[in-house]
Amino acid sequence: MVAGCVLAPFACAQSGQGGGVSGSPAQDAAPTAHAVSAQPEEKSWRFGVALGYGRRTNPLIQSQEIPVVVDIDFAWFGERWFFDNFDLGFELFDHPRCTTNIVARLNSDLVCFGKTNTRYVNFSIGANGTQGAVATPPGTDSSVPLELKVPHRDFAVELGVETWLDGSWGQATLRAFHDASSTHDGYEISADYSYRWHRGRFVLAPSLGAAYKSARLNDYYWGVHADEVRPTLQGYRVDAGIGLQAGVRATYYLTKSVRLALSANYERLPDSVASSPIVARPYVAGYFGGLAWQF
Amino acid sequence: MRAHLTFILAGLLTTLHAEAAEPPTVWLHVKPLLCVLDDDATACSVIFDISWRSTQAAEYCLNDEAQPAPLLCWPSALSGEYRHARQVTQDFVFWLSPPAGAERAAQAKVEVLRVGSPDRRRQRRSRHVWDVL
Repeated sequence: MVAGCVLAPFACAQSGQGGGVSGSPAQDAAPTAHAVSAQPEEKSWRFGVALGYGRRTNPLIQSQEIPVVVDIDFAWFGERWFFDNFDLGFELFDHPRCTTNIVARLNSDLVCFGKTNTRYVNFSIGANGTQGAVATPPGTDSSVPLELKVPHRDFAVELGVETWLDGSWGQATLRAFHDASSTHDGYEISADYSYRWHRGRFVLAPSLGAAYKSARLNDYYWGVHADEVRPTLQGYRVDAGIGLQAGVRATYYLTKSVRLALSANYERLPDSVASSPIVARPYVAGYFGGLAWQF
Repeated sequence: MRAHLTFILAGLLTTLHAEAAEPPTVWLHVKPLLCVLDDDATACSVIFDISWRSTQAAEYCLNDEAQPAPLLCWPSALSGEYRHARQVTQDFVFWLSPPAGAERAAQAKVEVLRVGSPDRRRQRRSRHVWDVL
């Protein structure tokens, strides 16, 4: 089925299996009104704001945690084209069990490089903060503080395919993206699964995911390249690797457009990334709690 | 003493006059006001707890937007309560009105929210670790 969704869109589109919306019989005991009606047409534009408090750790050395006090959701959905929070997509085909899109997006690794500081360190302190990790090169005065700076990285535009599958078992997503901007020339393949549990006004959605990132992608963002090697920063080449992610979102709807939102995520970086001299923590953890409006 | 009685009587008359001239204030309370539906569900099965009260006794009828006739009428009452079981698939209004009148003394809107969407593209915003919406 997955192969059918990804590789044979036309076969998928013609298979004509049951629709995505299934009915439940009206209860005889209750007076029935509007028992069967089509779902109202959804608006093309979607705009939402969440205000609250949260934090996201930053795995880089000399970096600050990223505070989250507002999260904005802005999207537009046309017949097949869509814009979803800076992702631009085109729906290739839509099947009762799966949807496949072509998507252009910005690489998310770059977010970590936004809040870093330059630090002046005594030479006996290595890039990852451990004392004596770096040998003193000849002719260097170890008493003079030297600059330790996180290397600059550029954003990458990535182009790829994503397939969404769902059913009573939950929802799964498969993605494959390649750099289209000649920034890192690498690729990423990922899969994740989520399940939505719903009771009254309360919705709980745990999720799990894994992402394989190529050596080129990992090395561009998390490696220390030859031209970046300093007395304070050792050269390091990052290999391909798999990162794991888990998260949970809890929502309590106060009204149709206002809800309490709580989310927590944990992402384990690939081992080769975690061993980089510019990585201080082998994970990214984030949480947020607040009030969200959907307009 | 006489002046005091005159003052009290005047006050009562003013109050009665005001009550006769102004429409009574009516409160209608409905619980729950929100039905949350999964994208694969078609209806919520809800038992509504409905209560009302008024500043002035009168005959009121409770109406449901989906039904042509009132659900229930109360003869000359200051308050009332009612439980109403119903399948809900879309937004609608309960309202309280005089038996013959078209005006609504009070109303309460019940809303239906669908979580998820049959359009999967609208559910795709979950890849960023910091996204909460």
